[in-house]
Amino acid sequence: MNIIGPDLLVFGVDDVPACHEFLTAYGLTPRDYSPENGGFYDSLDGTGLEIRRRNDPSLPPALKTGSMLRLTVLGVTDQAALRDVAAELRKDRQVLHLADGTLRCQDDQGFELAFQVTIRKPIALEGEKVNAPYHPARPVNALGVTQDMPAHPRTLSHLVLFVPDIETAVNFYCNRLGFRHTDTLGGAGPFLRPQANPDHHTHFFIRTPPYMQGIEHLAFHLGGPTELMLAGSRMMEKGYESFWGPGRHKFGSNWFWYFKSPLACNVEFDADMDTHDDTWAPREAPMGPEAANAFLFQYRAKWAPGPGPKG
Amino acid sequence: MGARAGTQGVSAMLCRMEDLAEGSARGVEVAGWRAKVILVRKGGQVYGWRDLCPHYAGGTPMAWKRDAYLNGAGTHIACSAHGAWFEIDTGVCVQGACLGKRLTRVPLRIDEAGGVHLDRPPREERP
Repeated sequence: MNIIGPDLLVFGVDDVPACHEFLTAYGLTPRDYSPENGGFYDSLDGTGLEIRRRNDPSLPPALKTGSMLRLTVLGVTDQAALRDVAAELRKDRQVLHLADGTLRCQDDQGFELAFQVTIRKPIALEGEKVNAPYHPARPVNALGVTQDMPAHPRTLSHLVLFVPDIETAVNFYCNRLGFRHTDTLGGAGPFLRPQANPDHHTHFFIRTPPYMQGIEHLAFHLGGPTELMLAGSRMMEKGYESFWGPGRHKFGSNWFWYFKSPLACNVEFDADMDTHDDTWAPREAPMGPEAANAFLFQYRAKWAPGPGPKG
Repeated sequence: MGARAGTQGVSAMLCRMEDLAEGSARGVEVAGWRAKVILVRKGGQVYGWRDLCPHYAGGTPMAWKRDAYLNGAGTHIACSAHGAWFEIDTGVCVQGACLGKRLTRVPLRIDEAGGVHLDRPPREERP
């Protein structure tokens, strides 16, 4: 099943202007925004978020838990892939063909899903280049960092869901939609990637009581660790609040920095995630500080040693 | 921003009533405490809570931005990590990740001049 990953996440929120402020500071580009109706927030390849008021009649029904995630739109490679998804899911549920060409249905736990031929547009920007001894990756005279260098989210990477039933979630995504299982954090849940995306994960599930069902966090990829550190530092300087990070995860090797948000979930900067193919053998480790972080730091305001005592 | 109550004596002042508008919240640092005190003014009352969401052991701070502690309608204290809502007057979580748990109350005292104080001197905490 040639699914690539999330193209768009749609939220119904309590405070549209607050979300606009936050997502703009996070580095997404607003499109068709108004304080009354919300709008779209695009990353560089066209994937992104859609923010509407909680009671917007255009939105699919909300979960009963208060989670603001209303719809996950998954991109597939082409029309043939879309037909494959439709044929598989029609076996046991209603799948709507909407006028805009998308498919609409629910997964096995009541999350609203849509499928579309992906809107991702490959971007020409190269990734961060690191000079190592004897192996410089940057051309001579090319700078590694400048204070004002851009650090925009490049593509929607992954979402993490609180789910009451991991087995049901894994069965749906792996056995019905062909996702691959990359690793497992025991006590939390599995990392999954769709077949047409080598990223370590586009989905991760955390087992919770039913009253918590919803989105735990979402993440966009940046161009590298330096962009991630700059983007997060700029958020801190503006008064936004870190939840976790900066650091680097073990499973996936992705650098991370999570911020709390008015979307009622964490929003993560992510960079340099591992990629895998079907020869990969899943690992398992118990969820906890040791398994979750290769290293973890906490932000502090800029500081430098002074010239020392006078005289 | 930068509000900080001292550890000297019982009357460590957190803020003045005139700086806390009806229906608003703010977070105040207390020297020696690892988490801020959230002050919420509602219905003429001022409520004090530790800025520690009880979802995870030990608690985590809740605002998405400095002083952004209330939900969109201003009816509840909201944790912006995972969307838990807490009643402003009781601290009880009524929706989301820590349903049934509650915030830790910070007893307050308001003096004749409208100064909002900790009702007892803060104890040093481990970070």
